Amino acid sequence: MKIKQEAIGDVYVVRLSGQLMGGPDADAVRETILSALNQGYRNILIDLKDVSWVNSTGLGILMSAHITATQNGGKVKLMRISSRIDSIFMVTRLNTVFQVFDKEDEALASFEGETSEGQKS
Amino acid sequence: MSSPRDYPQDRVIEFSMPSRLELLVVLDGLVQSICSEMDFEQADVDAIANSVIEAASNAVQHAHEQNPGVPVHFRFVLGEDELVVEVNDAGEGFDIDQAMALDPTGPEGILKSRGRGIFIMRAMMDSVDFDIRMGKGTLVRMTKSRSTEAEAEA
Repeated sequence: MKIKQEAIGDVYVVRLSGQLMGGPDADAVRETILSALNQGYRNILIDLKDVSWVNSTGLGILMSAHITATQNGGKVKLMRISSRIDSIFMVTRLNTVFQVFDKEDEALASFEGETSEGQKS
Repeated sequence: MSSPRDYPQDRVIEFSMPSRLELLVVLDGLVQSICSEMDFEQADVDAIANSVIEAASNAVQHAHEQNPGVPVHFRFVLGEDELVVEVNDAGEGFDIDQAMALDPTGPEGILKSRGRGIFIMRAMMDSVDFDIRMGKGTLVRMTKSRSTEAEAEA
Protein backbone atom coordinates (compact mmCIF):
# COMPACT_ATOMS: atom_id res chain seq x y z
CA MET A 1 0.00 0.00 0.00
CA LYS A 2 1.16 3.53 -0.75
CA ILE A 3 0.29 6.68 1.17
CA LYS A 4 0.22 10.22 -0.14
CA GLN A 5 -0.83 13.16 1.98
CA GLU A 6 -1.62 16.81 1.54
CA ALA A 7 -3.27 19.60 3.48
CA ILE A 8 -6.23 21.28 1.82
CA GLY A 9 -7.19 24.18 4.06
CA ASP A 10 -7.90 22.76 7.49
CA VAL A 11 -8.33 19.24 6.17
CA TYR A 12 -5.49 16.73 6.10
CA VAL A 13 -6.12 14.44 3.14
CA VAL A 14 -4.56 10.96 3.24
CA ARG A 15 -4.66 9.18 -0.11
CA LEU A 16 -4.17 5.42 0.04
CA SER A 17 -3.55 3.13 -2.92
CA GLY A 18 -3.19 -0.62 -3.32
CA GLN A 19 -4.75 -2.97 -0.78
CA LEU A 20 -5.37 -2.28 2.88
CA MET A 21 -4.63 -5.57 4.60
CA GLY A 22 -2.43 -5.32 7.64
CA GLY A 23 1.26 -6.00 8.05
CA PRO A 24 3.26 -2.78 7.76
CA ASP A 25 0.15 -0.93 6.53
CA ALA A 26 -1.17 -0.64 10.08
CA ASP A 27 1.84 1.25 11.41
CA ALA A 28 2.11 3.42 8.30
CA VAL A 29 -1.51 4.63 8.47
CA ARG A 30 -1.36 5.11 12.24
CA GLU A 31 1.86 7.15 11.98
CA THR A 32 0.33 9.28 9.23
CA ILE A 33 -2.76 10.01 11.34
CA LEU A 34 -0.62 10.80 14.39
CA SER A 35 1.60 13.06 12.29
CA ALA A 36 -1.45 14.99 11.10
CA LEU A 37 -2.74 15.32 14.66
CA ASN A 38 0.67 16.42 15.93
CA GLN A 39 0.75 19.10 13.24
CA GLY A 40 -2.51 20.43 14.63
CA TYR A 41 -4.91 19.04 12.06
CA ARG A 42 -8.14 17.68 13.47
CA ASN A 43 -10.05 17.11 10.25
CA ILE A 44 -8.73 14.03 8.47
CA LEU A 45 -10.06 12.74 5.18
CA ILE A 46 -8.96 9.33 3.91
CA ASP A 47 -9.25 8.84 0.16
CA LEU A 48 -9.79 5.19 -0.82
CA LYS A 49 -10.30 5.74 -4.55
CA ASP A 50 -7.22 3.71 -5.45
CA VAL A 51 -7.69 0.99 -2.85
CA SER A 52 -9.03 -2.08 -4.62
CA TRP A 53 -9.96 -4.02 -1.51
CA VAL A 54 -9.62 -4.20 2.26
CA ASN A 55 -9.71 -7.20 4.56
CA SER A 56 -10.83 -7.27 8.18
CA THR A 57 -7.35 -6.24 9.30
CA GLY A 58 -7.62 -3.25 6.98
CA LEU A 59 -10.96 -2.38 8.55
CA GLY A 60 -9.20 -2.56 11.91
CA ILE A 61 -6.61 -0.09 10.64
CA LEU A 62 -9.38 2.35 9.70
CA MET A 63 -11.07 1.84 13.08
CA SER A 64 -7.76 2.50 14.85
CA ALA A 65 -7.39 5.70 12.83
CA HIS A 66 -10.91 6.71 13.86
CA ILE A 67 -10.22 6.01 17.54
CA THR A 68 -6.81 7.70 17.51
CA ALA A 69 -8.28 10.82 15.91
CA THR A 70 -11.31 10.88 18.22
CA GLN A 71 -9.15 10.54 21.34
CA ASN A 72 -7.19 13.56 20.16
CA GLY A 73 -10.23 15.71 19.40
CA GLY A 74 -10.18 14.96 15.70
CA LYS A 75 -12.43 13.31 13.17
CA VAL A 76 -11.78 10.87 10.32
CA LYS A 77 -14.03 10.76 7.28
CA LEU A 78 -13.70 8.60 4.17
CA MET A 79 -14.31 9.23 0.51
CA ARG A 80 -14.50 7.47 -2.83
CA ILE A 81 -14.82 3.86 -1.71
CA SER A 82 -15.50 1.14 -4.29
CA SER A 83 -18.69 -0.91 -4.34
CA ARG A 84 -16.64 -3.88 -3.15
CA ILE A 85 -15.39 -2.03 -0.09
CA ASP A 86 -18.83 -0.52 0.45
CA SER A 87 -20.29 -4.03 0.67
CA ILE A 88 -17.94 -4.81 3.57
CA PHE A 89 -18.84 -1.53 5.26
CA MET A 90 -22.54 -2.37 5.00
CA VAL A 91 -22.12 -5.90 6.38
CA THR A 92 -19.94 -4.79 9.29
CA ARG A 93 -22.00 -1.63 9.85
CA LEU A 94 -18.90 0.53 9.70
CA ASN A 95 -21.04 2.80 7.54
CA THR A 96 -22.61 3.84 10.86
CA VAL A 97 -19.19 4.80 12.27
CA PHE A 98 -17.69 6.66 9.33
CA GLN A 99 -19.13 9.38 7.17
CA VAL A 100 -18.40 8.34 3.59
CA PHE A 101 -18.53 10.68 0.59
CA ASP A 102 -18.57 9.98 -3.12
CA LYS A 103 -16.96 13.28 -4.11
CA GLU A 104 -13.94 15.10 -2.73
CA ASP A 105 -15.50 18.56 -2.78
CA GLU A 106 -18.48 17.32 -0.80
CA ALA A 107 -16.19 15.62 1.68
CA LEU A 108 -14.08 18.73 2.17
CA ALA A 109 -17.16 20.95 2.51
CA SER A 110 -18.59 18.62 5.16
CA PHE A 111 -15.88 19.70 7.60
CA GLU A 112 -16.81 23.38 7.31
CA GLY A 113 -18.53 24.69 10.37
CA GLU A 114 -17.65 21.65 12.43
CA THR A 115 -15.98 22.50 15.68
CA SER A 116 -13.88 19.87 17.29
CA GLU A 117 -11.66 20.20 20.32
CA GLY A 118 -8.28 21.60 19.37
CA GLN A 119 -9.38 22.49 15.84
CA LYS A 120 -6.52 23.90 13.77
CA SER A 121 -7.09 27.56 12.98
CA MET B 1 -18.20 -32.15 5.88
CA SER B 2 -17.72 -34.42 2.88
CA SER B 3 -14.22 -35.33 1.84
CA PRO B 4 -12.56 -33.06 -0.72
CA ARG B 5 -11.87 -36.24 -2.69
CA ASP B 6 -15.59 -36.51 -3.42
CA TYR B 7 -15.39 -33.75 -6.00
CA PRO B 8 -15.14 -34.55 -9.73
CA GLN B 9 -11.56 -33.74 -10.59
CA ASP B 10 -12.38 -32.16 -13.96
CA ARG B 11 -14.02 -29.26 -12.13
CA VAL B 12 -11.32 -28.64 -9.51
CA ILE B 13 -8.66 -25.92 -9.49
CA GLU B 14 -5.97 -26.20 -6.83
CA PHE B 15 -3.54 -23.49 -5.81
CA SER B 16 -0.90 -23.20 -3.11
CA MET B 17 0.60 -19.96 -1.89
CA PRO B 18 3.46 -19.08 0.46
CA SER B 19 2.24 -17.30 3.59
CA ARG B 20 3.06 -13.82 2.39
CA LEU B 21 0.45 -11.06 2.65
CA GLU B 22 1.52 -9.40 -0.59
CA LEU B 23 0.55 -12.56 -2.50
CA LEU B 24 -3.10 -12.10 -1.57
CA VAL B 25 -3.26 -9.89 -4.66
CA VAL B 26 -2.42 -12.93 -6.81
CA LEU B 27 -5.09 -14.96 -5.04
CA ASP B 28 -7.63 -12.19 -5.57
CA GLY B 29 -6.90 -12.18 -9.30
CA LEU B 30 -7.45 -15.94 -9.48
CA VAL B 31 -10.76 -15.69 -7.62
CA GLN B 32 -11.92 -12.90 -9.92
CA SER B 33 -11.08 -15.06 -12.97
CA ILE B 34 -12.88 -18.12 -11.62
CA CYS B 35 -15.99 -16.09 -10.77
CA SER B 36 -15.94 -14.49 -14.21
CA GLU B 37 -15.68 -17.93 -15.81
CA MET B 38 -18.76 -18.99 -13.82
CA ASP B 39 -20.76 -15.84 -14.75
CA PHE B 40 -21.36 -14.70 -11.20
CA GLU B 41 -23.02 -11.29 -10.75
CA GLN B 42 -20.55 -8.58 -9.73
CA ALA B 43 -21.98 -8.32 -6.20
CA ASP B 44 -21.44 -12.05 -5.76
CA VAL B 45 -17.93 -11.80 -7.19
CA ASP B 46 -17.15 -9.16 -4.57
CA ALA B 47 -18.67 -11.31 -1.82
CA ILE B 48 -16.68 -14.38 -2.83
CA ALA B 49 -13.42 -12.46 -3.27
CA ASN B 50 -13.84 -10.68 0.08
CA SER B 51 -14.53 -14.00 1.81
CA VAL B 52 -11.63 -15.89 0.24
CA ILE B 53 -9.30 -13.03 1.11
CA GLU B 54 -10.55 -13.16 4.71
CA ALA B 55 -9.96 -16.90 5.02
CA ALA B 56 -6.53 -16.55 3.41
CA SER B 57 -5.62 -13.59 5.62
CA ASN B 58 -6.48 -15.66 8.71
CA ALA B 59 -4.31 -18.50 7.45
CA VAL B 60 -1.35 -16.27 6.57
CA GLN B 61 -1.47 -13.95 9.56
CA HIS B 62 -2.79 -16.08 12.40
CA ALA B 63 -2.30 -19.75 11.52
CA HIS B 64 1.13 -19.41 9.87
CA GLU B 65 2.25 -16.12 11.46
CA GLN B 66 3.46 -14.99 8.02
CA ASN B 67 6.03 -17.77 7.78
CA PRO B 68 6.57 -17.85 3.99
CA GLY B 69 7.87 -21.40 4.17
CA VAL B 70 4.45 -22.71 5.16
CA PRO B 71 2.00 -22.72 2.24
CA VAL B 72 -1.75 -22.15 2.32
CA HIS B 73 -3.68 -24.56 0.08
CA PHE B 74 -6.77 -23.59 -1.87
CA ARG B 75 -9.23 -25.75 -3.76
CA PHE B 76 -11.94 -24.32 -5.99
CA VAL B 77 -14.72 -26.63 -7.17
CA LEU B 78 -16.59 -25.11 -10.09
CA GLY B 79 -20.07 -26.62 -9.89
CA GLU B 80 -22.93 -26.07 -12.33
CA ASP B 81 -24.52 -23.35 -10.19
CA GLU B 82 -22.26 -23.24 -7.17
CA LEU B 83 -18.68 -22.49 -6.29
CA VAL B 84 -17.04 -24.32 -3.40
CA VAL B 85 -13.85 -22.85 -1.96
CA GLU B 86 -11.64 -24.65 0.53
CA VAL B 87 -8.80 -22.95 2.39
CA ASN B 88 -6.48 -25.26 4.26
CA ASP B 89 -3.80 -24.14 6.71
CA ALA B 90 -1.35 -25.95 8.97
CA GLY B 91 -1.85 -23.81 12.06
CA GLU B 92 -2.60 -24.78 15.64
CA GLY B 93 -6.33 -24.19 15.25
CA PHE B 94 -8.53 -21.87 17.29
CA ASP B 95 -11.64 -21.75 19.45
CA ILE B 96 -14.44 -20.96 17.00
CA ASP B 97 -16.91 -20.16 19.80
CA GLN B 98 -14.53 -17.65 21.31
CA ALA B 99 -13.81 -16.15 17.90
CA MET B 100 -17.53 -15.58 17.35
CA ALA B 101 -18.44 -14.60 20.91
CA LEU B 102 -18.59 -10.84 20.30
CA ASP B 103 -20.95 -9.40 17.67
CA PRO B 104 -18.67 -7.05 15.67
CA THR B 105 -21.69 -4.94 14.71
CA GLY B 106 -22.85 -4.45 18.31
CA PRO B 107 -22.12 -1.37 20.44
CA GLU B 108 -19.01 -2.97 21.99
CA GLY B 109 -17.72 -4.94 19.03
CA ILE B 110 -18.02 -2.23 16.41
CA LEU B 111 -15.25 -0.18 18.03
CA LYS B 112 -12.82 -3.10 18.12
CA SER B 113 -10.01 -3.26 15.59
CA ARG B 114 -10.26 -7.07 15.30
CA GLY B 115 -12.86 -9.81 15.18
CA ARG B 116 -14.64 -9.22 11.87
CA GLY B 117 -13.12 -11.88 9.60
CA ILE B 118 -15.39 -14.87 10.27
CA PHE B 119 -18.40 -12.57 10.53
CA ILE B 120 -17.68 -11.18 7.04
CA MET B 121 -17.32 -14.66 5.54
CA ARG B 122 -20.58 -15.88 7.10
CA ALA B 123 -22.46 -12.78 5.99
CA MET B 124 -21.25 -12.92 2.40
CA MET B 125 -21.26 -16.64 1.57
CA ASP B 126 -24.16 -19.11 1.52
CA SER B 127 -22.36 -21.47 3.88
CA VAL B 128 -19.09 -21.43 5.82
CA ASP B 129 -17.88 -24.48 7.74
CA PHE B 130 -14.74 -24.93 9.80
CA ASP B 131 -12.99 -28.25 10.31
CA ILE B 132 -10.57 -27.36 13.08
CA ARG B 133 -8.06 -30.10 13.89
CA MET B 134 -6.31 -28.72 16.96
CA GLY B 135 -2.58 -28.76 16.38
CA LYS B 136 -2.99 -30.07 12.84
CA GLY B 137 -4.54 -27.25 10.86
CA THR B 138 -7.89 -25.84 9.83
CA LEU B 139 -9.99 -26.42 6.72
CA VAL B 140 -12.48 -23.68 5.86
CA ARG B 141 -15.10 -24.66 3.30
CA MET B 142 -17.31 -21.98 1.80
CA THR B 143 -20.02 -22.18 -0.85
CA LYS B 144 -21.78 -19.60 -2.98
CA SER B 145 -24.57 -20.28 -5.45
CA ARG B 146 -25.09 -18.20 -8.55
CA SER B 147 -27.96 -15.77 -8.10
CA THR B 148 -30.99 -16.35 -10.29
CA GLU B 149 -31.96 -13.51 -12.66
CA ALA B 150 -34.83 -12.56 -10.33
CA GLU B 151 -32.52 -12.46 -7.31
CA ALA B 152 -29.94 -10.40 -9.20
CA GLU B 153 -32.58 -7.85 -10.23
CA ALA B 154 -34.08 -7.63 -6.71
